[in-house]
Amino acid sequence: MLKCLLCHRSSEPKLRLPWVLSWQPLERPVVCQACWQTFTPIMTSQACPSCGRAQTQRSLCHDCQRWPQQAFYNQALFTYNEAMQAYFEQYKFKGDYRLRAVFRAVLMARLASLQPAIVVPIPVTANTMVTRGFNQVTGWLSDGENSGWLKTKHQTKAVPQSQKKRQARLLTPQPFELTGAGPDLTAKTVVLVDDVYTTGRTIRHAADLILENGAKSVIGLTLAR
Amino acid sequence: MQASELYGRQLALTPLEAQDLPAATQKFVALRVTANRLQCQRCGSVLNRQAAQLPRDQFYCYDCLNLGRVSTLTSLYHISEPNDFPKVDQLTWQGQLTDQQASCAAMIQTKFEAHQRQLLWAVTGAGKTEMLFPGLAWALAQGWRVAIASPRVDVCLELHPRLQAAFANLEIALLHGRQITPYRYCQLTICTTHQLLRFRAAFDVLIVDEVDAFPFAANPRLGYAVEQALKPVSALLYLTATPSQDLLRQVRQHELGLSYLPLRFHQQLLPPIRVTLQPRYWERLKKGKLPWPLRPWLADYANRGQRFLIFVPRVAQLAVVQAAIQQVYPGLKGLTVHASDPERLAKVQAMRNLDVQYLVTTTILERGVTFPGIDVIVLGADDPIFSTAALVQIAGRVGRSKARPTGLVRFICRSYARPVKRAIRQIKLVNRKGRRLRAEMPVVSPLE
Repeated sequence: MLKCLLCHRSSEPKLRLPWVLSWQPLERPVVCQACWQTFTPIMTSQACPSCGRAQTQRSLCHDCQRWPQQAFYNQALFTYNEAMQAYFEQYKFKGDYRLRAVFRAVLMARLASLQPAIVVPIPVTANTMVTRGFNQVTGWLSDGENSGWLKTKHQTKAVPQSQKKRQARLLTPQPFELTGAGPDLTAKTVVLVDDVYTTGRTIRHAADLILENGAKSVIGLTLAR
Repeated sequence: MQASELYGRQLALTPLEAQDLPAATQKFVALRVTANRLQCQRCGSVLNRQAAQLPRDQFYCYDCLNLGRVSTLTSLYHISEPNDFPKVDQLTWQGQLTDQQASCAAMIQTKFEAHQRQLLWAVTGAGKTEMLFPGLAWALAQGWRVAIASPRVDVCLELHPRLQAAFANLEIALLHGRQITPYRYCQLTICTTHQLLRFRAAFDVLIVDEVDAFPFAANPRLGYAVEQALKPVSALLYLTATPSQDLLRQVRQHELGLSYLPLRFHQQLLPPIRVTLQPRYWERLKKGKLPWPLRPWLADYANRGQRFLIFVPRVAQLAVVQAAIQQVYPGLKGLTVHASDPERLAKVQAMRNLDVQYLVTTTILERGVTFPGIDVIVLGADDPIFSTAALVQIAGRVGRSKARPTGLVRFICRSYARPVKRAIRQIKLVNRKGRRLRAEMPVVSPLE
């Protein structure tokens, strides 16, 4: 009996003849079809090429026209809608670490298609690690992958990004620093992974830092936009 | 944080949150980790190591997450219950109990005094809440801390104003998952059974209303919550109209006392269940036809204007049944209702206002609603979705008014499933008790 991680209803996967004859292990989806359909995927062909926002055509959105041009662009997998908000509430803020499995497969698939030289998850503060106990981004990547060379400068965040208004977010100073122990970034393509792209401030700070240290380009990959 | 917020409570706090707690605070391990076992100390769940895993060899409890996460990063903080209450009589209720209710109330009070555990099997519509008042008043006058818990939020929300009216000068705390007001230390607490997980050795008297309701019955954690929230020496009272097999087992093993209140407030018996076997009812309905014997029943209802409810096992079946009825009897006015129906309240209200003659519904209307003078039909009563308790509760919707204390409860099933048989047996049993009671009038009898 399988239980959907989001709605906790049990679902029986249908046994089909092609599967029986294929001798493959049974696919066990972690969420049910109904829950999965509440998330809205973003088509890359109909998104802002710079931030990944869902639009009707592929053109720079009004927010991105205000950012300076850089060797950085972002891709997002899903629109930040109510279902996504509920997901983050349960996963990040209530701390249900099991929910990392919901998006792991799609995120890893997209990551593989980008063929990055280096993958860096956006770090969380030391305090978050003590209270929440996990980095929500690292959870989606293969277990325990945490480079550690991109770090937050401060132990705590005075005010979490999610509680700020747009203007206050945009004024946030550089929160990250690089420790010396990282790999050589020269002429490499680096993929930065984060949970949500809202104003772009956080991920662009991290991208700036990596570009300053010699990387050729930085691609952002966020779950939601 | 004030000390009183921790009296009899157990709160999961991280070291950061627990920095300036009062000196008397005790600290407990929140999640016990041993080589081959992982157990949450708040809800008692034994956890799956893989699912409960956090990075860096930490673990969390995924079962009681909604009450704030318990993990190896937190501890439970507690101050033992000081019973810091005035010892005065708080009861302002002026009403009268019937003779049976009064003797039942007296029995409840003696059980409280003796710190005993008790199951009160009172049929649907017996007037349970009022019977609690004398016992509650006595316990509160002793300076005891008392809680009334129920698995259902709606029950709590309905109980609170009634108790507040009966104890007008007492502050009553109401705790449930959706509330926003912060916790306050009160002598009388009304809460959902989930909220009991936040208490430790707090209550001298604990009353659990509608023990048979989901999710209490299906959830072993909540039984654990009851044990945790009670003081070592304390009284426990379960109230139900449909005791589960497990409760009856506890009665047989003398862990619980049992008393009956088999008559409704109007002194009438429960209407018995009548079963009709019809193996092909669903095939007929799918074709838009009414199967025998539904057709003659509805013809009769259409003639007399008798109001009724039809219960079906699944939401998807509502429309099918409704369509079939409309096709054959276009004159009958009715609606369909299910749990996530946005117009649920309006539709139930329409039924109350006599705007429609019938509702087709799922188990959401099994308890807590009263439509005077209705009949009930259950389609597919043998479906696993209908538990014994649900069936007895559904039968209990009938005959709830003094004006029409009887009515028809009719099941259409493919077979006599076990819950159907048990429901019939339960109703027969309480009716037998009720008949004896009416004949002899020695009031509520403790089990032999």
